[in-house]
Amino acid sequence: MIRAPLVKALGALGSPTHQIASRAVRTSAIVAQTPAKAPDTIEVFVDDIPVQVLPGTTVLQAAAQIGVEIPRFCYHERLAVAGNCRMCLVEVEKSPKPVAACAMPVMKGWRIKTNSEMTRKAREGVMEFLLMNHPLDCPICDQGGECDLQDQAMAFGSDRSRFTDINYTGKRAVEDKDIGPLVKTIMTRCIHCTRCIRFASEIAGVDDLGTTGRGNDMQIGTYVEKLFLTELSGNVIDLCPVGALTNKPYSFVARPWEIRKVSSIDVLDAVGSNIVISTRTNEVLRILPRENEDVNEEWLADKSRFACDGLKRQRLVAPMVRMPNGELQAVEWESALIAVAKALQKANGQIAGVAGQLADVEAMVALKDLINRLEGETLVTEQDFIKGSGTDVRANYLLNSNIAGLEEADAVLLVGTNPRYEAPLVNTRLRKAYVHNELQIASIGPKIDLSYSHDNLGSDASLIKDVCSGSHAFSKVLEGAKKPAIIIGADILERSDGAAIHATIAEYCEKLKKPDWNPFNVLQNNAAQVGAYDVGYQPGLQRINQAQPKVLVLLNADAGKLTREQLPKDCFVVYIGSHGDNGASIADAVLPGAAYTEKQATYVNTEGRAQQTLPGVSPPGMAREDWKILRALSEVTGTPLGYDTLDELRTRLEDIAPHLTRLGKLEKASFNELSPKTATSKSISGGAIDVKQKELREYFMTDAISRASPTMAKCISAVNKQQRQDEAKQSVAI
Amino acid sequence: MAAIVRFNLLSKPQIVAALPASVQLRLQSTQAPPPGTPPPQTKTTFGPLADEDRIFSNLYGRHDWRLKGALKRGDWYKTKEIVLKGPDWIINEIKTSGLRGRGGAGFPSGMKWSFMNKPSDGRPKYLVVNADEGEPGTCKDREIMRHDPHKLVEGCLIAGRAMGAQAAYIYIRGEFYNEASNMQLAIAEAYQAGLIGKNACGSGYNFDVFMHRGAGAYICGEETALIESLEGKQGKPRLKPPFPADVGVFGCPTTVTNVETVAVAPSICRRGGTWFASFGRTRNSGTKLFNISGHVNTPCTVEEEMSIPLKELIERHAGGVIGGWDNLLGVIPGGSSTPIIPKNVCDDVIMDFDGLIAAQTSLGTAAIIVMDKSTDVIKAIARLISFYKHESCGQCTPCREGIGWMNKIMTRFVKGDAQPAEIDMLWEISKQIEGHTICALGDGAAWPVQGLIRHFRPEIESRMQKYAQQTQRASN
Amino acid sequence: MTKYLGINRLSKLFQIIQEAGGLKQTYLKLYRNDDLKIGTLVGIDKYGNKYFENPYYFYGRNRWIEFPQHVGMDYDGSQIPAEWYGWMHYKTDLPPTRDGCRPKYKWIADHSENLSGTKESYMPYSTTPPKVEAWDPKAKK
Repeated sequence: MIRAPLVKALGALGSPTHQIASRAVRTSAIVAQTPAKAPDTIEVFVDDIPVQVLPGTTVLQAAAQIGVEIPRFCYHERLAVAGNCRMCLVEVEKSPKPVAACAMPVMKGWRIKTNSEMTRKAREGVMEFLLMNHPLDCPICDQGGECDLQDQAMAFGSDRSRFTDINYTGKRAVEDKDIGPLVKTIMTRCIHCTRCIRFASEIAGVDDLGTTGRGNDMQIGTYVEKLFLTELSGNVIDLCPVGALTNKPYSFVARPWEIRKVSSIDVLDAVGSNIVISTRTNEVLRILPRENEDVNEEWLADKSRFACDGLKRQRLVAPMVRMPNGELQAVEWESALIAVAKALQKANGQIAGVAGQLADVEAMVALKDLINRLEGETLVTEQDFIKGSGTDVRANYLLNSNIAGLEEADAVLLVGTNPRYEAPLVNTRLRKAYVHNELQIASIGPKIDLSYSHDNLGSDASLIKDVCSGSHAFSKVLEGAKKPAIIIGADILERSDGAAIHATIAEYCEKLKKPDWNPFNVLQNNAAQVGAYDVGYQPGLQRINQAQPKVLVLLNADAGKLTREQLPKDCFVVYIGSHGDNGASIADAVLPGAAYTEKQATYVNTEGRAQQTLPGVSPPGMAREDWKILRALSEVTGTPLGYDTLDELRTRLEDIAPHLTRLGKLEKASFNELSPKTATSKSISGGAIDVKQKELREYFMTDAISRASPTMAKCISAVNKQQRQDEAKQSVAI
Repeated sequence: MAAIVRFNLLSKPQIVAALPASVQLRLQSTQAPPPGTPPPQTKTTFGPLADEDRIFSNLYGRHDWRLKGALKRGDWYKTKEIVLKGPDWIINEIKTSGLRGRGGAGFPSGMKWSFMNKPSDGRPKYLVVNADEGEPGTCKDREIMRHDPHKLVEGCLIAGRAMGAQAAYIYIRGEFYNEASNMQLAIAEAYQAGLIGKNACGSGYNFDVFMHRGAGAYICGEETALIESLEGKQGKPRLKPPFPADVGVFGCPTTVTNVETVAVAPSICRRGGTWFASFGRTRNSGTKLFNISGHVNTPCTVEEEMSIPLKELIERHAGGVIGGWDNLLGVIPGGSSTPIIPKNVCDDVIMDFDGLIAAQTSLGTAAIIVMDKSTDVIKAIARLISFYKHESCGQCTPCREGIGWMNKIMTRFVKGDAQPAEIDMLWEISKQIEGHTICALGDGAAWPVQGLIRHFRPEIESRMQKYAQQTQRASN
Repeated sequence: MTKYLGINRLSKLFQIIQEAGGLKQTYLKLYRNDDLKIGTLVGIDKYGNKYFENPYYFYGRNRWIEFPQHVGMDYDGSQIPAEWYGWMHYKTDLPPTRDGCRPKYKWIADHSENLSGTKESYMPYSTTPPKVEAWDPKAKK
């Protein structure tokens, strides 16, 4: 089966960066093109500078090797080669026509001239054609200042217009399309590079976008008016080289030169996507992805990109204490801290802490140290995991095959997870492997749309036993695979038989593992989870119920799993966090913390990579960084913590777990760590396996920040509306 | 589209060398030429073609086009033997004949077919017959398919055998309803008679022929766009490389050839390559279907010898230009995409690939559009550009934007509402399109404009002058 | 001679003191107005402002106003109502008391002084939304 678009499969045959094409086509083509599979490099000359490249390298890549940038619009490293913008035309000696550098593989001894008269003429001509029908609305265009067309028109275009027909017939105008609440379209600006189409069909796996009409009337669109329904839709904004697709919530907000950019990481899922926070006047304006080959490539999921307006809503801006009349009232820091400290001192060590999904490692360590100093022991995460000592072994809760590693997998079993919504950028890796690497995917769980075809084995938990005992048909696939992987959703390990599922799969993975490949994966969905286990938090709220604490400190715990009814009547609940959500509403004292864009904090992603956020703005009002609140609190309780600065705190982190300070580095779980002995009982009770996020609408609001975001709310209502329309259409058809 | 010519792929010295090359070759060849070399040229006058040398003996539909009639005319005669002689023999014979692709580019067919003869890598090979004859002025393939469909079916088998193809797809233009009907009948007849299909003609060779009707897009006559269309996608040309011979339809090696090229193959194999090569000049050999339309007394499609002088062709077969030869304004010699030539060039130009290249135009599909002095040549070319604007696929920039722009300018030129400086601009724009696009449609759209400016610039200028005077008078 | 000795100035001073009503009143007047002048009372408006004129002083200083006692030191030029404004600024030589062609419509609003800097001063409301919307624990979802 050919899964890759044929043009791509064949356009970049054998090129080292594009490991593409279905195996059948690839092998045959290699036979056809390079009879003896020769890895020898060939020499070409770019502007008379010799370059050694692999056969099959395109002219553009060869030029890039020596730092010669060839202008392009349609070409994108991660998308199939379209070769339709013609901006990358370069002269090749002895070729009468200029060649498209993005698509043409180099031949031995070619002399490529990237700055000759012919090349410049060709570029200027193409640029003139592009600008001919492009509106001159740069002053009101959101892309202005970061527009490829602007930049390249300056660099390679003519210095004046010859378009005399502006006085007669004018330019082309195209109707705008409504493709949802996230992407704004101004189709008149479109230069038909088809990057968005290729992204949608190759990376996102939804064939929603396409071209209609031909010639000058060609339009990019959705054929019929519908939403561009994907969790990755925002990336077409970055891909669009002009202002045809722009960020709708960000429209008319700011110019790129006014913006301060801060490199940070995203915490709204457990992938830890690298982001750039664009801020101005202490306000987060938008979030863009930052390239990191190991984590998010250069994509970003919609929630991570568009939920940033949730950082300005429902914020805790002042400490609050619940008054005798039962209402929370804003107070000064001093009285709030004294009130909390009094409660802590009275508790006699009956103190518990709960870390939620957005808690950073520093704050968790500070909370742990504080509670330990006050002789409390109970420190848990909101998200549950297997019973017993499962979190003692790091390999038990990590995505051991790595996010980038999943690209090389050739057989994957998904157990109770929907990576498309739980970790969209892990899903893109799986899709990439599916398209280019003949990856075979099966899932146990409900029938869901993963954007690639996969084999749904059923939803019954007993199937896990079948597969892991080797009796299921898919076991043969896994056992025959070079790099098999089993991905377990974190949520199904919350089940009562979670430990048995975990142990069964771990045991099977012991059999599947290869010398440098660990097939056992747990896909976490909370950014805080791995960090919490790494610093010694225990999973599960039932420990709170057992401990019946006098004081409960909630650190960003907003999942709503904990209610006042489960707690003792006299329990004093302290909430530290950024948003007024489930946690703050049950609290007796609210201490306003900082959101991830406002603090320098460490998070560990699902594969065990510690990364840090950097503050783009300062916390609103009286809010402070979470660990500083705890440090101040420790002073009031009379048990001061031993660190006054972030560096000192990081030193403490290093003592607990050294990898937490090796930022950006992947700390793999040691290979033999994975032990199936953790299981106490090995009986999987059966019953249907479910996942929480089955549909797109369930994806948008999963945490305190996205729940506060008006954009995410709009997304949900747009998805609902689309569904109603579809149903109406269907009923008409029936 | 079929007439889109790839002669711009050749470098200039090659083009110049094309004419005297035959002479040079003869002087140099002291030892025996390698197999597949066409015989040296001995003739000096070309045409008219004798009736017994005509390949398409039912061009005018006066006889039965079905299998019975075709058999009577000699089709399917000893096809089994030809097939059994194997690909090398067929390709050698085609090479000897000097047959060049009749779709417009004029690529030597023997060489093209031999590209397919590489060792198999497990993928099937396909022959695709380009019957999407959409070039304005061209009407040769339809005559073949309507009146001599068995020639094409038999040609598919022989060409397919030469390439080792498993099947042939005939991509027929959607508007050709009757042609498609006849073609389908002919294919069915051939299947029933065991001529194609499993064990075709009893040769032990399995070969299928399928027909696919297009949906009426000129661009689908471009070979890669045709492949895309055949695969069920939008008909947009693919990037080359990889060439269809490597990766064609459904990802398999494919050769796309014109109907006429395929249809003459059986006759070449039966009568010998040297017979075919005896017509026309070396490198331009063979017989060819010429379509003569426009301002002639009897427009017609006629099979003639290559290298026949244009004047003789028009006067002998088309009854001459209306109002006499002196009433001739210009001729578009190879379908709408080739540049127009004025009367003084028409006087002694000869109709073959190299002869027309020397006249800065191209043989294309040999669809001769004759215009007499009553023609508004600017309007005629403007109409062609508007056709190309409508048929541009919109995939790549120069063609999508450039042809639209040219169309805007040309519409104004018809009225004269422009500045003389814009003529140079239009020339430059056409040069910016030419050679910068994915497929050759961009070139094909640029050439008519270039031909017009090259030969009729004074006409455009005087019209602008007239218009300027008129508007000035009106404003005064 | 008297001019030469400055006796006429002295007599003017006495005249002023006399008009003001004694030394204390003169002092208070000087303190309040930073000026001591005598002139003819041209008119009194309804707010109690007294308008004087004395062509003895040079142009620009020959018309002045004495604000009523109740405003104390809080007087300022905007307390002059529109009808006297023109006379004070030499736009007209006819004070409203003697000018019969002044329009008197019912709808003419009462004069109000410039309230800038006082509690009643005009404050435009903010049109920019707050950058951060705080959580309101009382607002139930």
